[in-house]
Amino acid sequence: MTEQLSTLVPAARGGDQHAWDTIVDRFLPLVGAIIRGHRLSEADGDDVSQTVWLRLVEHLGDLREPAALPGWIRTTTRNECLRLLAARGRVRPVDPQEDDGLRLDAVEDDVADAGLLVVERRQLLREALAELPDARRALLLLLVEVPPIAYEEISRRLGIPIGSIGPTRARALEQLRRTRALRGFGPDLVGGMS
Amino acid sequence: MSEWDELSDDELVALVGEAVAETDAVSDRRREAARGAFAWRSVDEELAELLHDSALEASAAVRSSAEGPRTLSYAGAGLTLELEIDGADVLGEVVGAEVGATGVSVALQRPGVDEVTAPVDAAGFFRFAAVGQGSVRFVVSAGESSLTTPWVTL
Repeated sequence: MTEQLSTLVPAARGGDQHAWDTIVDRFLPLVGAIIRGHRLSEADGDDVSQTVWLRLVEHLGDLREPAALPGWIRTTTRNECLRLLAARGRVRPVDPQEDDGLRLDAVEDDVADAGLLVVERRQLLREALAELPDARRALLLLLVEVPPIAYEEISRRLGIPIGSIGPTRARALEQLRRTRALRGFGPDLVGGMS
Repeated sequence: MSEWDELSDDELVALVGEAVAETDAVSDRRREAARGAFAWRSVDEELAELLHDSALEASAAVRSSAEGPRTLSYAGAGLTLELEIDGADVLGEVVGAEVGATGVSVALQRPGVDEVTAPVDAAGFFRFAAVGQGSVRFVVSAGESSLTTPWVTL
């Protein structure tokens, strides 16, 4: 079973590098997905990512509710992306002569928001995977490999009969649906709530 | 019933694949930088408050066509720090009771690079040349007072 944020956050606050690394590994994909959604250059994306993690180091001391961490990371990453885009002069300037200027900006923001829902769902799925017992998680990870891995190979790697892969997959998915993350008891991704 | 129960097994596996792919998309460079950020942890550091960042106002998408340099200002510990990002250079002003005394300085910190310090002149001004882009923060030392800004991406 994986370590909970309620354990990791106080440990990191106390100086535990391993706890910090675990937090980083868990949320880097979320940070990366939000950065990709804002279409930053690779170098700017690296810089935003670095700033988000440095800001989190600053913020650890006053993050009283560990469950609010995912929401904090999401909000901070989004804000830092917008801030850097503006600093680079890539915010679409509003021309008062062009009456749909504001509306276009609004549409772009809606698209970014829809993208956020997708990245949140993927983060929940990663949290859910982390809750699964190792053997079941290993099976699901092999089943989503690109390019696909043949059942014979999966059978060999996991040491289970080919015939039991299908039924085990079904049980693993059912267990995935029952995880805290997917039942809605996972970390607060929206942020702000205690 | 949750939304996840409404998905078929195949649909759920496809979503798991997308979620796992985002993990695989993380570069080692970003992972190392993020892990390394922990070295900047400090137990009882008083952070300055960001009063203004012209880039934050610009991101509200309402700004005039006149595009000046980015400006930032911070306050804390009885000091105010004003910054103007002029291309690769950073021009700054420190305002506070200690300014004018000798020995007031500003340090520019960034991960993986040696700290650079600039003296603050009698009028409160200082300058860093060829700073370039990336995550930075500024630390003002003025007698007993010290102001550390939050990290910011230039």
